[in-house]
Amino acid sequence: MLKQGKANRLAHDLTHRGVTAWLLSAALFAFYLALYFTEGFTGVARALGLPDKWTLYGLLYTLAILAGGVHVLRKYRHNRYQVVRTAVVMFVQVTLAFAVPQILKFFHQPEYYFSYLWPLKLEDLTPGIVFQLPLPYILYSFLAALLLAPALAALFGKRWYCSWVCGCGGLANTAGDPLRHLTSKSSAAWKFEKVAIHTVLAVCVTLTALLFVTWGLGSRHPRLSAFTYHFQSLYGLVVVAMLSGVIGVGLYPIGGTRVWCRNFCPMAALLGLVQKIGRYRITVKQNMCISCGLCSKYCEMGIDVRAYAQANTSFTRASCVGCGLCAEVCPRGVLRLENTATKAPQEFVLVRISGVR
Amino acid sequence: MRFLIIGNGVAGATAALTLRRREPDAAITLVGGESDFFFSRTALMYVYMDRLSRRDLEPYERQAWDRQAIRRVRGRVVDLDAANRTVRLASGDTLSYDRLLLATGSLPNRIPWPGLEAAREGVAHFVTLQDLAECERLTPSTREAVVVGGGLIGVELAECLVFHGKRVTFLVREPWYWPVALGGPESAMISQHLRRRGVDVRLEEEVAEVLTEPGGRVGGIRSNAGREYPCQMLGVTIGVHPAVEWLVGVTTPPACGRGILVRPDFATSLPGVWAAGDCAEIQLPGEVPLVEQIWYSARRQGELAARAMLGDPIEYRPPIFCNSAKFFEIEYTTVGMVMQAPADAEEFYCPVPGREASIRLVAYRGALIGCNLLGARWNHALFERWIAERRPLDYVVGHLGEAQFDVEFGRLDLSCIREAFRQHAQTRQSQPAGA
Ligand SMILES: Cc1cc2nc3c(=O)[nH]c(=O)nc-3n(C[C@H](O)[C@H](O)[C@H](O)COP(=O)(O)OP(=O)(O)OC[C@H]3O[C@@H](n4cnc5c(N)ncnc54)[C@H](O)[C@@H]3O)c2cc1C
Ligand code: SF4
Repeated sequence: MLKQGKANRLAHDLTHRGVTAWLLSAALFAFYLALYFTEGFTGVARALGLPDKWTLYGLLYTLAILAGGVHVLRKYRHNRYQVVRTAVVMFVQVTLAFAVPQILKFFHQPEYYFSYLWPLKLEDLTPGIVFQLPLPYILYSFLAALLLAPALAALFGKRWYCSWVCGCGGLANTAGDPLRHLTSKSSAAWKFEKVAIHTVLAVCVTLTALLFVTWGLGSRHPRLSAFTYHFQSLYGLVVVAMLSGVIGVGLYPIGGTRVWCRNFCPMAALLGLVQKIGRYRITVKQNMCISCGLCSKYCEMGIDVRAYAQANTSFTRASCVGCGLCAEVCPRGVLRLENTATKAPQEFVLVRISGVR
Repeated sequence: MRFLIIGNGVAGATAALTLRRREPDAAITLVGGESDFFFSRTALMYVYMDRLSRRDLEPYERQAWDRQAIRRVRGRVVDLDAANRTVRLASGDTLSYDRLLLATGSLPNRIPWPGLEAAREGVAHFVTLQDLAECERLTPSTREAVVVGGGLIGVELAECLVFHGKRVTFLVREPWYWPVALGGPESAMISQHLRRRGVDVRLEEEVAEVLTEPGGRVGGIRSNAGREYPCQMLGVTIGVHPAVEWLVGVTTPPACGRGILVRPDFATSLPGVWAAGDCAEIQLPGEVPLVEQIWYSARRQGELAARAMLGDPIEYRPPIFCNSAKFFEIEYTTVGMVMQAPADAEEFYCPVPGREASIRLVAYRGALIGCNLLGARWNHALFERWIAERRPLDYVVGHLGEAQFDVEFGRLDLSCIREAFRQHAQTRQSQPAGA
């Protein structure tokens, strides 16, 4: 039952797909379409003394994460995992995703974003772009994407990136927090997710391979070059602009905060595959779940956590970004995020619990 | 084979799913008087506080029941004829069966306080979906509420009412809150927590009289201490009892005590009829009859009763007791025997400084028999294991770290507990106890 009072009704409407939610969604769509496809914001940026519309966008994005982050820090202040994680995500956004590239530019260095890696950032493995950079940047681009990220994902799960570093996850877990429960928990949504996200990953890997081949062959195959060029622009339009920007954030008030991360992000897909064979898992305490459903409700990735918890099975789902909210909201402390390869000493109790001599 | 289950709570639903796993072709029917689909009663409070929708309470997707070919019937059963193997619904329909499971759960207790009959509106329980709807209906017209009964459901209801901005008075009959489970200092910590959250906790007070407004709405209560508490809503949460009233006067009533009497294999006194969950009273050889009224036991019993119905040799042995709860923000886990421990048992109690947390370990004849854990997360399974392995307290305190289940970075610092235990062990040596 919702709380009495106008302000509460409005908040409820906004967070439960009411009229206000649809209006906000429409506004976000309009904002992103204008940002990507018009130069409307360039003037605004100049007026504010910023070099271009993307810097303005970065500033707004950072402010959203900071404001939302303060709210989240307060809301979950009793939970150290949430406090540390939120503080890190806010810090990374302010530095690596905003200030550092501007500072680099000031010192006539490339405007490089250390917190975004291939395959999320296609440029990092686009030979025509990355090989223009000074050597340290080239090395970082390759090593971070191909070694560091998968290695950390194998040890700690993809959460190290998706909910500790990445700006998309950062926005979802801060400003997006009041909308996290909107993600669909249906099995149909899960089926769609599996097909969609792995398709994007396959397309992204194919495109990267094609970029290397085209670059290797040089100007000898103009038709291939033209094809690769068109492929790349199409990918930029559909995946980067439409799916990650317009739809990804535009749908926050309707489809929840991780529409992009869950269904389309190639980085999440890749690290998810690593996570499946890595050490990360959600450990379920045996016979303690009361099936209340809070964990499933507040999972922004649409994982039906309760299904595992009430069946007493610890689990690792590829999509889990390790935000830790299921463990936070669980009123019986059933769930814990762990990086462990060993089984907990629980089997013993299971045998006795069956209650048969 | 036709299986019929009355009651679609956790006992009935688990039984139905267990039967289906074993019998792909049997006809399985689940009758529920309260809801179309099995839902989690344990989470009613979160619906009241707008954190879940009613639909979110359902632990399984709705299609699952069709996929499992479990027929659901909405209706209240009013007659049971074990000779002809039929039951009759309030609608007049009859259902026949080969094997029948009674899983009718429990109903809220009532006390006929003076003045209660005059109150036509404003008295609420908090057990069923219908109770929830009634609470929600009363909420907007309530400024002050009185919650009576110092158990777990009372605290949940109080939390909901505080959420909705009501002034809540919480009447506890006993000298401290929930003495069957909590020791004095633990309870004092909870009471203080509740008071900080705005609940007026009144110990050793109970309702002497219910006061009504002219229109029939509750206007307040007078307590045995002579105080008057105005309220527009009176939450009565003084425990539950097995739902057996409906069996009075049916064609063939099964033997009942406090609940429906069953043998350790869940068979009732009637042929072809079993009972499980909150409604069952299990007669264990050589022990006092057992009525378990928690989620975990209802679930376990539902599964075992289903297996008994299929002919498995079942002899119920309740496992080491374990329960959990949450008092506003304070999480609680208990394992084994704590307040029911023998008088000469050894107790180690340690509040954690600077946190609303505490740990109480109870040992008897040198071995752990139970614990009360508040304010931090623990893996109860390890404590169960230590009890089964008859571990001494020194061992348990030395291994506490393994049982910690707090979130990463948020582990409770155990050094103060270890230090307190060292001192405890020293005084124990000078004056041996519990041997
Ligand atoms: C507010 C609340 C919070 C709780 N929280 C916890 C908790 O945190 N942890 C815990 O361990 N336990 C908790 N419990 C207790 C737990 O919910 C019960 O032990 C459990 O639900 C019992 O399950 P059951 O299947 O035996 O009965 P029930 O869940 O009571 O289900 C029985 C069903 O049978 C139906 N029925 C009864 N008679 C008939 C009839 N004649 N015809 C048709 N249908 C009928 C009833 O309408 C009901 O739907 C809580 C209980 C309440 C009320
Ligand atoms: S939140 Fe906890 S108790 Fe509730 S369903 Fe999830 S695991 Fe079970």
